[in-house]
Amino acid sequence: MAEKIGVYIDESSVAPLLNAEELAAYVKEKCGGACPIVKAHKRLSSPDGVAMIKADVDAGELDAVLICGTSPRVDWDVFTFGDKVLVDRVNLREFVTLSYKNPDGSSVAAGGPIPAELRSMVQDYLRMGVVKMQKMNRPNPELPETNRTILVLGGGFTGMNAALAAAGAGAEVILVEKSDKLGGRAAGLYKTFPMNYPYLEATDTGIDRLIGLVTGNSRIKVRLNTTLKLLAGAPAMYEATLASGGNEEKVPVGSVVLAAGWTPMETEALAPFGYGKFKNVVTSAEFEAMVKAGDIKRPSDGKEPKTVVFIQCVGSRDKSLDRPYCSGFCCMYTAKQAILTKDHIPDSQSYVFYMDIRSPGKMYDEFTRRAMEEYGARYIRGRVAMVYPKDGKMIVRGADTLAGTQVEVEADLVVLAAGAEAAKGAPQLAEKLRISYDKYGFFMESHPKLKPVETNTAGVYLAGSCQGPKDIPQSVGQGSAAAAKVLALFSKDMLESDPQISRVDIKRCVGCGKCIMTCPFKAIKEVEFRGQKKAEVIETVCQGCGICTSTCPQGAIQLSHFTDNQILAEVNALCQS
Amino acid sequence: MSRLDALKTRIKEALPGLECVIGWQKGYDALHNTPLFIRGEADVDKLEWGALNVHNPAVYLPSFAGKKVGVVVKGCDSRSVVELLQEKLIDRDNVVIFSAGCDGVVDIAKVRAKLAAAGLNAGNAEKVAVDGKTVTVTAAGKAVSMPMAEVAADKCLRCQFPNAVLADAFVGDPAPQVQAAPAADADLAALDAMSVPERMAFWRYHMDRCIRCYACRNACPMCVCRDHCIAQSREPHWLSQEDSVTEKLMFQVVHAMHLAGRCTECGECQRACPMDIPVLALKKHLNRTIHDLFDYQAGVDVAAIPPLLQFKLEEDNIKERSW
Repeated sequence: MAEKIGVYIDESSVAPLLNAEELAAYVKEKCGGACPIVKAHKRLSSPDGVAMIKADVDAGELDAVLICGTSPRVDWDVFTFGDKVLVDRVNLREFVTLSYKNPDGSSVAAGGPIPAELRSMVQDYLRMGVVKMQKMNRPNPELPETNRTILVLGGGFTGMNAALAAAGAGAEVILVEKSDKLGGRAAGLYKTFPMNYPYLEATDTGIDRLIGLVTGNSRIKVRLNTTLKLLAGAPAMYEATLASGGNEEKVPVGSVVLAAGWTPMETEALAPFGYGKFKNVVTSAEFEAMVKAGDIKRPSDGKEPKTVVFIQCVGSRDKSLDRPYCSGFCCMYTAKQAILTKDHIPDSQSYVFYMDIRSPGKMYDEFTRRAMEEYGARYIRGRVAMVYPKDGKMIVRGADTLAGTQVEVEADLVVLAAGAEAAKGAPQLAEKLRISYDKYGFFMESHPKLKPVETNTAGVYLAGSCQGPKDIPQSVGQGSAAAAKVLALFSKDMLESDPQISRVDIKRCVGCGKCIMTCPFKAIKEVEFRGQKKAEVIETVCQGCGICTSTCPQGAIQLSHFTDNQILAEVNALCQS
Repeated sequence: MSRLDALKTRIKEALPGLECVIGWQKGYDALHNTPLFIRGEADVDKLEWGALNVHNPAVYLPSFAGKKVGVVVKGCDSRSVVELLQEKLIDRDNVVIFSAGCDGVVDIAKVRAKLAAAGLNAGNAEKVAVDGKTVTVTAAGKAVSMPMAEVAADKCLRCQFPNAVLADAFVGDPAPQVQAAPAADADLAALDAMSVPERMAFWRYHMDRCIRCYACRNACPMCVCRDHCIAQSREPHWLSQEDSVTEKLMFQVVHAMHLAGRCTECGECQRACPMDIPVLALKKHLNRTIHDLFDYQAGVDVAAIPPLLQFKLEEDNIKERSW
């Protein structure tokens, strides 16, 4: 129960719409009795802001600190002031100043008149924050034993590199792959575009060597044909339920690196180009398999194709298919495939229909130029309108937007550069791990620049194409980055568990077990207390979601940071202003 | 042997191993039966079976927790027993269920209205005879016959379970299935037809006469908060004692929400209400929603988990994602 609350208002979260000093005066006027210190600061999360709060805490005048400004999702690690004071957050930025819209849907213009509703919303949140804080109980953080095993999900290029990087630093790794072999998508490649000096030739992917390193590493336990069923717990004390065949096994792990990869676009995007209807229209993956087998043949009659047309951006950058994003690596692998075609069939001619050539990697543009200049691939800037068969050939009709003409190419073989999609089941996996994903199923990083491989679930990291389409070098880089972040997490001696969990009032509990049935994390167990059944929260597994509290008819189970009393106090503050 | 006699025989056999057997007996006048707690063989003969057994004896079961008891149930009451078992509020090993086919019970309020129409006061009822489809009440020396279909409880008009869904001793022939009368859900249909402000006005009008006696709560077999009911809790202080429609309606809404997917529509809340407030409609509406969403009916299958008492990542009928 906080009685001396220091209220700190972050000016950067409310400016320029509202004046932080005025808000501070408002809090002083309305809640001054409970809040001996009310201050505004330009930016609370700055070293200066934190030092200001810390000085007040050290002076011993406060038993609680209320940070009013940014979302509790951010800077939670900045606003920690020891166990003498309670800390809570009031989100004025995301809840009000950034999200407020005028009735006509427009945002509030800075410098213009400030709507009364916006001001009163901020004031309501401030009052609610103070009363919630007044009813807050002191948390009781546990310092449990930690587990530093790293669970890597996905045995592709990214996952294997992350596993090797972590194992190289001494960590124990469990590498889970849902298929029956390691290698992922790269295992299906014959060669990749160059990744080493002098960046001229298509090179071996190196996947076999990588698989050898992973399987030969004593710190990496590879689990094939295995999927993650459930992840419960908290960083450094997760319990992963791994499913393999019909068996399930619970494994303690410390953190998770997600490298779930990608999948090539489904055939619906390919159908307009005759895929599925005409045998001589194939995907780039099917063409790659032919090259890998050293056997480039027309599927219709088994003859060697002399004219090959590559169509790029199939299912990428296409709003009509709801795939507006660029798949990133198709430009490069198409150039590579054009080169490989010439290598294998010296008297062949390749055509590439493209929208733009996107080759921003190191020496990438040089490589695509080589395809044009040395291998004679003809690049035609324009989209293909239709593909149809005529006299045993495929006629590819499209626009040449540079020449401003229509072109028709008589092709023996048409190769569709299908774009990348999120792996099948990626959204379901994201929900199991409680991380965000975008509308295309790619996982969301915490912040594109500040936390590029972190997720919004502590201890869960991501790498590679599951976050968005990436080529091999980028994936390798991200895999290593994720490994480094996990190791940084484990470099601390002690990890504190989240005190925002449910607790059972044993006097009220009737032992009906409804909370046990509704808990998504299996964080509640039945115990016997003086001969009666009671529920008990497993504190390290509870995620504080609150489903049990809404299930319990007796109100016997309460979320420590959102007790009924706190919520009721907030509602009263809101309604009785 | 009549259903009643057969029940008595079975109860006598089982009684030595039981703390008591809950049933019905003759009440303070001919029109009313009242709950009976059979503790010795002499009590068995007080047992009644018929159209006046309006109460749901399942409501008493949780208070006998830890003791082995018997309970005599109608089909509808058996659903409450099943729901209590589903929610682990009672122990299957500690309850013995006696039952027989049920031909429906009367709604005393409807009988009272019929008698009033005949110029008689229900308080003077001397004799009640139920013969198949006709109920004959003798009051002040005058016999009034009324068709069972017109005085039966609403729930009986749409009864799906005239025979117990779960019984250890089911005696006699099963009762025939009832064809749902078209008027059975007239209360919901009337509320559906109202606009939102009209519906609010409807509830404000009815809740205005609530005396906050909480008979609805006490009669409800699924109302299990007991000592921690929001109506009395001061910590947290959900409801004030202010005599306002808002507070009264708040209780009914919370009660109904607590019963979503658990209520077996036994109708005891409405029957027990001394002010004749149609509180069952709130629960029926939520049950209809639960049925549409989850294709679930409470108190039919002991092994089933009520939909709001389990966690599923993906619900079958709620498509909140594209996959």
